[in-house]
Amino acid sequence: MELLDRYLQAVRKHLPWQRQDDIIAELRANLEAQLEEKEGALGRPLTQAEAEEWIKQLGAPIQVAAGYQPQQYLIGPNIFPTYRYVLKLACSWATIIYSIVTVVQLFVVPNPSNSALLDALLHLPWVLITAAAWVTLIFAAIEFAVMRGYVKVPALCAPSPNWTPGSLPPLGYDGATGKKPRSYAQAVAEVVFGILFLGWLLLIPQHPWLLMGPAATWLKASPFELAPVWVPFYWCIVAMNIVQNGWNIENLLSGRWQRPQPLKQAIFKVLGLVPMAIILTAPHQVVVLLRHPATDQAQYGLQLDWINRYFHWSTEIICAIVVIQLVWSAVQLTLNSYRKRAAAI
Amino acid sequence: MTIAENLFENLRLELRRGCLTLAVLAQLRQERYGYTLRKALADDGLVIDESTLYPLLRRLETQGLLASEWREEEKRNKRFYRLTADGEQMFTKLLGEWNAINASVLKTLDASPNETSNANQ
Repeated sequence: MELLDRYLQAVRKHLPWQRQDDIIAELRANLEAQLEEKEGALGRPLTQAEAEEWIKQLGAPIQVAAGYQPQQYLIGPNIFPTYRYVLKLACSWATIIYSIVTVVQLFVVPNPSNSALLDALLHLPWVLITAAAWVTLIFAAIEFAVMRGYVKVPALCAPSPNWTPGSLPPLGYDGATGKKPRSYAQAVAEVVFGILFLGWLLLIPQHPWLLMGPAATWLKASPFELAPVWVPFYWCIVAMNIVQNGWNIENLLSGRWQRPQPLKQAIFKVLGLVPMAIILTAPHQVVVLLRHPATDQAQYGLQLDWINRYFHWSTEIICAIVVIQLVWSAVQLTLNSYRKRAAAI
Repeated sequence: MTIAENLFENLRLELRRGCLTLAVLAQLRQERYGYTLRKALADDGLVIDESTLYPLLRRLETQGLLASEWREEEKRNKRFYRLTADGEQMFTKLLGEWNAINASVLKTLDASPNETSNANQ
């Protein structure tokens, strides 16, 4: 039957070349036996329409041939869980490293353009796609080598038989309060945004508009200027951010990000008092100066006095709030610790 | 096809996959070629597509569970399959496993008569 020959020819195209003849011969024998039986039952040859319907029921040639192909995966089920885990890690670390490099570049380049940060952000998806592509390529190569029998599944790609239930991550202290424990994505986001914030902070001296917006232009044209006390204040904030980012990165690397750290939070609240103390101890409580005191004192002297006085009072109030929060946190920490000890007894 | 129908079809295929291998091994305790095997399975109530059965025979042969030979029958060359010694051992083990699973499922259904009666309806 010509239609059957055409069908088998179409199937042959999609078969593994080494076994084409053998498979086609077997298929032909089986299908011809089936055809003979059909025609025997009807007592006549199949009509064109009947033949077409029968051939159609056999399935599309590519689909029939696919059954004879070995099962193939780009990344098979054995190594897929590890692939997904590594992909997640690679994307997280690509984001972190890219953020660090971007911030360093922005800081090192003498006059970065205003859109440099935006350009860097827009480039981030390509960095992530590149990282994902490399990870996929490597795992696809591992899968290929394992399937061909060139190598065994690498130990890193298979679940370790040496895992212990004791090494499972803790539920998190928040379990007691019913809040969800921190996720890995949250911990990574904290590091990424911390680094971006540091970059933004380091750009402020050269580009004050990043902090004040249009008010930066007004300040430049105004008779007032910031007192030198802002220099140690600024560097104190920068130093605190560097310490905090370092701490966050170390937590992420060591796996401690899963545990809430009330002590760390308390330490940073205490450190937060340092820049406020710098402002409060400014010589003569002066945080703003006149650009040309000799000429402007008479006109702007009173305003200057009010600005400095209100600023000092505001700082004192904020400082008092932070101290109250600190005391409250200390009381809560002590009570929690006491409750735990009492429960243990 | 609705989502529920699609899900049922996927689960049905998953359930059938292992059973088909067992049924094919059972049939090939007696030598057969592809088409008569397919007919024998269909006569016993297990309809199976050509595109599923013939590649399955090849796989089982590659795994050493079946042996095949080309032979002329009714003026036509046909490839006949039969179980190997390894295939017979494997069939016995799989049959034991299948019986155990079947017994467990039936026992579970006996334990919950409502579900059994619902399923029968």
